[in-house]
Amino acid sequence: MYRRVSIRLRKQLVSVLILCAGLVLSVSTTVQAADPAKGKALFQANCASCHNVHKQLTGPALKGVEDRWSDKKLLHQWIHNSSSVIASGDPYANALFKQFNQVMPAFPAFTDEDIDNILGYIAVEGARDPNAKAATPGAGGAAAEEGGDNSLLFGIITLVLAVVALILMQINSNLNKLAGDKEGVATPEPVPFYKNKAYIALGVIVLFMIGGYFTIQGAIGLGRQKDYMPEQPIHYSHKVHAGINQISCLYCHAGAEKSKHAMIPSENICMNCHKVINEYHGPDLFTAEGKKINGSAEIAKLYDYVGWDAEAKKYTKPGKPIEWTKIHNLPDHVYFNHSQHVVAGKQQCQTCHGNIQDMDEVHQFADLSMGWCINCHRTTKVQFADNKYYSIFEKFHQEVKDGKIDSVTVEMVGGTECQKCHY
Amino acid sequence: MKRTSNILVVAALAGGALLAACNTGEHHRKPGRIYMPDMYESRAYEFYNPRLATMKPVEGTVKRGELLPYHVKEGDTTLANTIKNPLTITEADVAEGKRLFNIYCGICHGTALDGNGPLYKGGDGPYPAAPANLAAGGPKSHYTQGRLFYVMTYGWNAMGSYASQLDRSQRWIIAAYIKSVQDGSKVPAPDAAPTAPAAGPAASGGDTATIKK
Repeated sequence: MYRRVSIRLRKQLVSVLILCAGLVLSVSTTVQAADPAKGKALFQANCASCHNVHKQLTGPALKGVEDRWSDKKLLHQWIHNSSSVIASGDPYANALFKQFNQVMPAFPAFTDEDIDNILGYIAVEGARDPNAKAATPGAGGAAAEEGGDNSLLFGIITLVLAVVALILMQINSNLNKLAGDKEGVATPEPVPFYKNKAYIALGVIVLFMIGGYFTIQGAIGLGRQKDYMPEQPIHYSHKVHAGINQISCLYCHAGAEKSKHAMIPSENICMNCHKVINEYHGPDLFTAEGKKINGSAEIAKLYDYVGWDAEAKKYTKPGKPIEWTKIHNLPDHVYFNHSQHVVAGKQQCQTCHGNIQDMDEVHQFADLSMGWCINCHRTTKVQFADNKYYSIFEKFHQEVKDGKIDSVTVEMVGGTECQKCHY
Repeated sequence: MKRTSNILVVAALAGGALLAACNTGEHHRKPGRIYMPDMYESRAYEFYNPRLATMKPVEGTVKRGELLPYHVKEGDTTLANTIKNPLTITEADVAEGKRLFNIYCGICHGTALDGNGPLYKGGDGPYPAAPANLAAGGPKSHYTQGRLFYVMTYGWNAMGSYASQLDRSQRWIIAAYIKSVQDGSKVPAPDAAPTAPAAGPAASGGDTATIKK
């Protein structure tokens, strides 16, 4: 009896103990388990300016940070106040300080839970392959050139119609001959078409027109470079920068607002972003020949030109100019000023350069011929009202007031005078 | 008669073939033929000459119409904090500042100044570092215009210098615009007596981290 009770008691005790242990465990796990979602928010608000999980930025890459610190308490102390850890003489902390030559700001407001959440986020993010997201869509390489050109279709139709006409003419002459034979009228032996003077004359005229057309087109095209698309020393894609990443044209071509030239950006402007963007993860890039481009290798070319050591994160050798090939080239006898067109004329870059934001490799969109300039000057209106610059055009002001004209074009204020561009 | 027509046809065809066919090469990789090359290949300036292309203006050069040079040395943030905006900012200047900010700064710091521009996109963009949140109440809201100017001039942490893209008056105008957004005012009040940098919220960091150079 007594024994039974004791066994029962023991069983109960064991179950209670197990229950308690379970409870304690579950409680402790809820305390321990970091919340990566909360950690992500904290990380982005406080840490991400200087730290990335996978990449070294101003501070080290944080992947595996918990393994690098011998003591978790010390890591917490480091985040709360890094200077105190350095002062305590911890060798790893001092090595970090030496390497980055910078003290991490103190974050005394973080609770231990906050720090655990951040570390939890780092662990989750660190386990993820940073290149995985590069695999998404991106297969937009073969966007076929669609529609637009129907000249081939028209050509085929013309050819078919010409053949039909020829056959009909042959039938006609045969029938005529048959009819003549029946009526006893002697028709002369037909001349084969290659000896027929009319046919020969027609052929000569057609050939002359075709030849003349190409000669004239070729002569007009001399010195014009429409569609010119040279290979550049670095496969710099305007589509990636200005299209996908929405960088304003003026960000790099800052001179377009200030000077005659839009400027090929100097290399330090590239390095504004590429100091830290050293890999390309966007959609696949191809040259016009269909060769696949490794974006990260192209960024490495930039580093080579500017003398940047991506590992050491500093400039280690003197830079050299990137020899970009000039595409839009006006001869010396033409004056063209970017700032005049962009600031005063308020023209969009795309008006003359085409949809640059869709071009991987830039080609010349307009033929930059004089006729092309003049056409635009004839149709474009200037900002005439409330513009002191045009106050001397009293006649036009009067005519606008009288309602005789509703707007003033560039041509009317002298935009087609020879001396405006040739002097 | 027949001979002249033959000559004409041959000349026309040959001329067309010569001028049109081999002009720009496959994929338009060649610029095409030119006449009077000295008008196209300018002798006025030699591009990418390593000596000329990397030359800077003579030390101390001041562009016409430009503000006087900024003498704060890189790393001297204490002095930078105290420098006042030399321009008298008008509402038009603030509007221009907004335009310039959206072109040169908004790409990272966001047009809402929240540090979430298209290049960062909450961590999904190509830029791996989170740009500073410049909005009101954000960690940088205690920055004076002088400090903002300093950062634009020399860069800070991952950010590079914008001195080559924005001239001095443009940088001051942008600093004024950022302040006007933070204050919610149309025209920002000129910087008051320089606040001690340590007075800023300690958790925001920034000031405690000095580059040792």
